[in-house]
Amino acid sequence: MAELEIKSVSKSFGSVEVLRDINLKIASGEFVVFVGPSGCGKSTLLRTITGLEIETSGDISIDGKRVNDVDPARRGTAMVFQSYALYPHMTVAENMGFGLKMAGEPKAIIREKVSQAAAILRLEKLLDRRPAQLSGGQKQRVAIGRAIVRNPKVFLFDEPLSNLDAELRVNMRAELIDLHRRLGATMIYVTHDQVEAMTLADRIVVLNGGIVQQFGRPLDLYDDPDNRFVAGFIGSPKMNFLDAVVLETGPGHVTLGKLGGSDRSLRLAFDGFDPSIKEVVVGIRPEHARLGESGPDTVPVSVGFAEELGDVTYLHGKTPGRSPMIIRSDKGRFSGQIDCNVAFDPAGVRLFDADGRRLRADGN
Amino acid sequence: MSAANRAIVAELYTWRFLKWVVAICVAIVAVFPIWWMVNVVFADPGVPVSINPRLYPTSLGSGLSKIQTILTETAYLRAYFVTIAYALLTILGMLLIGSMAAFEFALFDFPGKRILFGLVMLSLMVPTVVTIIPTYLLVADLGWLNTMQGLVVPGLASAFGLFLLVQFMRTLPREMIEAARLDGASHFKIYWYIALPLSRNAMVTLAILTFMKTWGNFAWPLIVAPKPEIYTVGQVVGLFNAPFSHQTVDVVMTANLLAVLPPLLFFLIFQRKIVEGIAMSGSKG
Repeated sequence: MAELEIKSVSKSFGSVEVLRDINLKIASGEFVVFVGPSGCGKSTLLRTITGLEIETSGDISIDGKRVNDVDPARRGTAMVFQSYALYPHMTVAENMGFGLKMAGEPKAIIREKVSQAAAILRLEKLLDRRPAQLSGGQKQRVAIGRAIVRNPKVFLFDEPLSNLDAELRVNMRAELIDLHRRLGATMIYVTHDQVEAMTLADRIVVLNGGIVQQFGRPLDLYDDPDNRFVAGFIGSPKMNFLDAVVLETGPGHVTLGKLGGSDRSLRLAFDGFDPSIKEVVVGIRPEHARLGESGPDTVPVSVGFAEELGDVTYLHGKTPGRSPMIIRSDKGRFSGQIDCNVAFDPAGVRLFDADGRRLRADGN
Repeated sequence: MSAANRAIVAELYTWRFLKWVVAICVAIVAVFPIWWMVNVVFADPGVPVSINPRLYPTSLGSGLSKIQTILTETAYLRAYFVTIAYALLTILGMLLIGSMAAFEFALFDFPGKRILFGLVMLSLMVPTVVTIIPTYLLVADLGWLNTMQGLVVPGLASAFGLFLLVQFMRTLPREMIEAARLDGASHFKIYWYIALPLSRNAMVTLAILTFMKTWGNFAWPLIVAPKPEIYTVGQVVGLFNAPFSHQTVDVVMTANLLAVLPPLLFFLIFQRKIVEGIAMSGSKG
């Protein structure tokens, strides 16, 4: 177990800046997930932590010790690769024990440590097999076993489940949570799948364009996003965004008009709204939008199709301004195209300025 | 089956039949000289084949006795050992040097890498006859004439071998090399424990192609090792074939047959690998 601190880390490949001023403090034993779209820099950040990439500036410390100049093998990190990166010419036992062999450990110790790791991952019967004789899930466990054997301070996972089928991925997620609980180790996990991030993480780092957009507990990110990117990235189906204009501000409230291109308005409780802001984006999650009677606080939506998933039903429609809108409606059954009115739960409305920054009421 | 379908099937069969006919004709042209050699060697003594032409051997004992004569009464056996040593040392050296260089070129970046690799590849376009005299002068300056190192060393740095191995090593997953680095393997250990075993197929291919080339190499041994003690099989066969050689045609053919035998066996054993190698490198070495 170890604490990891990243201070002002930037990384450029030539003129392309991939990471910009990253600052993170990860507590000992924490399971942190880096999530973001492809090319956001999450894998580069992981590779920088482990030393496979050299940071352009900034410091990385593990347990208070600066490790920028420490060889990747001696940083106390172990990485599980997306492609597993198992050595195809070695058996499972040889794969798992390779790191110890390189460290010059006696054969008896290697055997013992490999057996212990194999027991944790239920790999005892596979030790003499070669990677080509293993299934995807088994290969993944061997790759994790190889990391465990090295007894690292920090485990790093680079999209380790993305090559597995959906069912196996769900099982492996549960196994990883269990493994984290048993080992109590600091783990950093990279994924582009926000569901995976929400399931696994103690805390999530949302990255976009090489910048940390927000770092926090999964539900904090879901309920209280710092910006439009985080609001849209976390949650499935994603948050609805409707353009609106500010009609009027007053003590403790703001009134918005032209909601989603409609002629409707919406009055919201909001302390200290900046009167200089004339245009906003209204964010509302599907579960905070409900079908209702036509009224001044509702938005007309033309529903194109319904996703009836059994436990939930999502209606996909468009507002008069052609903004896409998803509404959760669990009870009804729908067929064909319908026109309806959607009311918003005021507690679920999030406001963003034109640049995507979150607008918060005073005291929030 | 409709008439149209029958016509298509008939056309397919005709096409396939023609292809087989062409293939068999090419095979006959390729195999006939070797078969003729066997035919001449295993012929009754005193009955020249040219006077009494036939397409089948007539005397196993006569052929074996000619082989025995050549192996015991000439320097042929010694030349055999010299050539085997020449071929094996060249293969080992080329694999070692080629694989180390390919490891760096294929998997790592260093300043001037592209230019250096381009230069090495350019050397593939220079014919051997152009380089043979400067190389000879260099070997002579080093005092390596009539020595095994004189035969072997100039052939170790093979641009073709490097090209073949680089092409193969480029396909090794970068993550595997990084995993080994994280496992604490040094640069040399990554080469030794990971890159080398994973390149086994390409190495075997290169070894086979090098053997075929070295065994049949005539010009280089001829100029760099003119001393009879270090004659290779090619040179000895050359003596049998020389204009003033007093050997009869069946003895000359026996010498030729013995020279052909190792590469022929090699080819039969490693046929698939050789074809794979040619396909892999786009060259026959």
